[in-house]
Amino acid sequence: MSNIIEVKNLCYSYDGDAQIVKDAVHNVSFTVKSGEIIGIIGHTGSGKSTLIQHLNGLLKPASGEIIIDGKNIWDEPKKIKDIRFKVGLVFQYPEYQLFEETVFADIAFGPKNMGISGVDLTKRVEDICDIVGIKKEYLYVSPFDLSGGEKRRVAIAGVMAMQPKVLILDEPIAGLDPEGRKEILKMISKYREQFDATVIIVSHNMEDMAVLADRLIVMNEGNLHMYDTVYNVFTKSEELEGIGLSVPLVTKVLTSLKKKNSGIRTDIFTTDDAVEYLCSIAAGGRYA
Amino acid sequence: MDSLIKLNNVDFSYGEDKNFILNNLNLEIERGSFTVVLGRNGSGKSTLAKLMNGLCKPSNDDGVVIVDGIDTKNEKTEIEIRRRVGMVFQNPDNQLVATIVEEDVAFGPENLGLTPQETRKRVDDALKAVGMYRYRKSTPHHLSGGQKQRVAIAGIIAMRPECLILDEPTAMLDPEGRDDVLDIITKFNREDGMTIVLITHFMEEAQFADRVILMSDGEIIKDGKPEEIFSDIKTLEDIGLDVPQTTGLLYKLKEKGIDITTDAISVEETAAKISAALHLEEN
Amino acid sequence: MLKDITFGQFFESSSPIHRMDPRSKILLLILNIIFLFLTKNVFSLIIPAVLTIVIIIISGVPVKMFIKNIKTILPIIIFTTLINLFYGSAGTVLIAFWHFTITTSGVMRAVYMASRIILLILQSSVLTYTTTPNDITDGIESLLSFLKVFGLGTAVHMLAMMMTIALRFIPTLVEETEKIMSAQKARGADLENGKLFDRIRALIPVLIPLLISSVRRAYELAEAMECRCYNGGVGRVRMKQMKYSLLDLWAAVVCVAFSGGVIALNILL
Repeated sequence: MSNIIEVKNLCYSYDGDAQIVKDAVHNVSFTVKSGEIIGIIGHTGSGKSTLIQHLNGLLKPASGEIIIDGKNIWDEPKKIKDIRFKVGLVFQYPEYQLFEETVFADIAFGPKNMGISGVDLTKRVEDICDIVGIKKEYLYVSPFDLSGGEKRRVAIAGVMAMQPKVLILDEPIAGLDPEGRKEILKMISKYREQFDATVIIVSHNMEDMAVLADRLIVMNEGNLHMYDTVYNVFTKSEELEGIGLSVPLVTKVLTSLKKKNSGIRTDIFTTDDAVEYLCSIAAGGRYA
Repeated sequence: MDSLIKLNNVDFSYGEDKNFILNNLNLEIERGSFTVVLGRNGSGKSTLAKLMNGLCKPSNDDGVVIVDGIDTKNEKTEIEIRRRVGMVFQNPDNQLVATIVEEDVAFGPENLGLTPQETRKRVDDALKAVGMYRYRKSTPHHLSGGQKQRVAIAGIIAMRPECLILDEPTAMLDPEGRDDVLDIITKFNREDGMTIVLITHFMEEAQFADRVILMSDGEIIKDGKPEEIFSDIKTLEDIGLDVPQTTGLLYKLKEKGIDITTDAISVEETAAKISAALHLEEN
Repeated sequence: MLKDITFGQFFESSSPIHRMDPRSKILLLILNIIFLFLTKNVFSLIIPAVLTIVIIIISGVPVKMFIKNIKTILPIIIFTTLINLFYGSAGTVLIAFWHFTITTSGVMRAVYMASRIILLILQSSVLTYTTTPNDITDGIESLLSFLKVFGLGTAVHMLAMMMTIALRFIPTLVEETEKIMSAQKARGADLENGKLFDRIRALIPVLIPLLISSVRRAYELAEAMECRCYNGGVGRVRMKQMKYSLLDLWAAVVCVAFSGGVIALNILL
């Protein structure tokens, strides 16, 4: 697999405004392979949002390079807009960015900015709605008449309609109820299947990260603290706790069980895996 | 039972709308209790909160809400109700009025017409109680979400209410801010005997309560002690609530035929239950 | 910057000017400005000039911060100077070309007008550098409270409340605007280029969400204020009571003395 994203020695700081200095990024380097799902975890102010805004050229590095699909995105600063169609970025609470009169028009905003019009535009919007499960009858209602979860889906579809190769989502499920969360996650995985997209998700929710991500980027005080597989990150629970983060709750439960019985494995991060493991113990199986 | 808030046969709908958000609600909140109202978005739980301090009034004529003996329908005693029942909302940004933390906290007491000395004392006490005293001269804009929410709570506490209603106070906070806010309200209940009504869709926030009310489609569908509510995970999931991973794990083990109860939320309790059920203890 | 409007231009220090009551600062600024305009010519301006320098020194605010403020209005100063330069007709003709003549009285007048504007800016800057916007608001509310007599008490309170809420929410809204702009740019919106009309049109995706969110905020804030027993300011007693001190008396004496100086010079010259 080829590298879709290469970040080399990225540095950035917000000059002047002393209050957000915390959100700086220091000398961050990493690569993402095409088709991977990367999770970014870290404290508020650890540099997560600064980092992702570099990947689609919303922020310009103070030093370092961002290479997307083999090309340094700042080689031609005038064409930076095109990068945003390649790397779609969904901000936190995206439903607050809806502005058009109809759901259709709002989803069409991105593709229209790409220069798509007429029949092609209609097809694009309808296609993405088919894929992510937005019903046709919703297309001509006002987005403001929808429920919170539905608005969020429309807003995310608006970015997906640009068919970016890389889809970045900042806390896409924050503030939703379980139903709404399921819908959003389903929508992301469907998009990924359909377009072989690379997905980067920023989240506080370790449980979801354990289920979703292939690899995790752990940010701490503007530094890339760890970049490794979910397994390798979540087996270092003490190190994570040292920087104020934690492992999924089921892993904590297993760690607590280990104090009672040293044979218990603690390298399990999802409920389903834990259930399977504990049932095998109950059935008289061996611990390891 | 010494009840502080009493709802009798309350219906509620917005405007002339015949679609009732709340339907024939009957509820009593006991003085000094810690009640959690659990329900998903649109279950009517926020409206319930607003009924309890008179921001909303029953739509039906025979529906009454009585707070500390005062009927909320009487406009003249609105202030009396609000100083008894304080309310904290979801978005901390939209509750803070002043540009300096201490002046914001003073807003409530100032409106009550207290002497400057008394207001000063209450502001300092309230800021210390929420651990924000050293930020008293800061501007809210420079605080984190969790800190802002603590300031908002201080602003209510400074009015010395008997009851604190919190409408999804942690929904917009990061895990750290969430823990801080929950610690503070638990402390107010345990140490100061303040009546707390916490409205939320996070089931784990109910673990500190002594009573849990489940709401769905404008009706109370369950009302009991946390253990009773949590032993029926299926109902919780059916009405679309967030079940913490710990309780979810117990529930799935139970479904697999393991003899275990689901009334645990914390990691330690959960581990203890599993350990006992699977006889994991060594020696 | 707008985001930092809470402290505005406030320069933290504990100089005597900082410690003065905001009300006396506002009143004395008005007094000084009146007498600045009562000066007849460039010579009687010496008195307000000396006063301004004295105030600046006492305030302990770095001189370069005052220069910065002057620089921002430099175009206005230059414009006024040029207009006045050609205005005077009396006096010796210094330069004459085409339809324009510059006379000695024109030069005097230009210098006089420019110095007056500069002094005005310097004096106002002292107020904003030594007083937080919050204190200025409280000061204005308190000074205008005499309007209660005419039944305008509520209006004064509303005005002050509006100013406070504006100060409180401007940073929030600026931040929100930046966020929405980034989000729409991420969808390929072009907010920087194009003709004027295109650029105005391009702002719609920013303005509509901003408007919707502001209305929501206003609604929620109103509810929260109601919950905090706010009923339009009736019976409200402020925690921070403003108090005049000896310092304010001294400042008043000094300013009045200088004003007397202006009158004296006006008569003598």
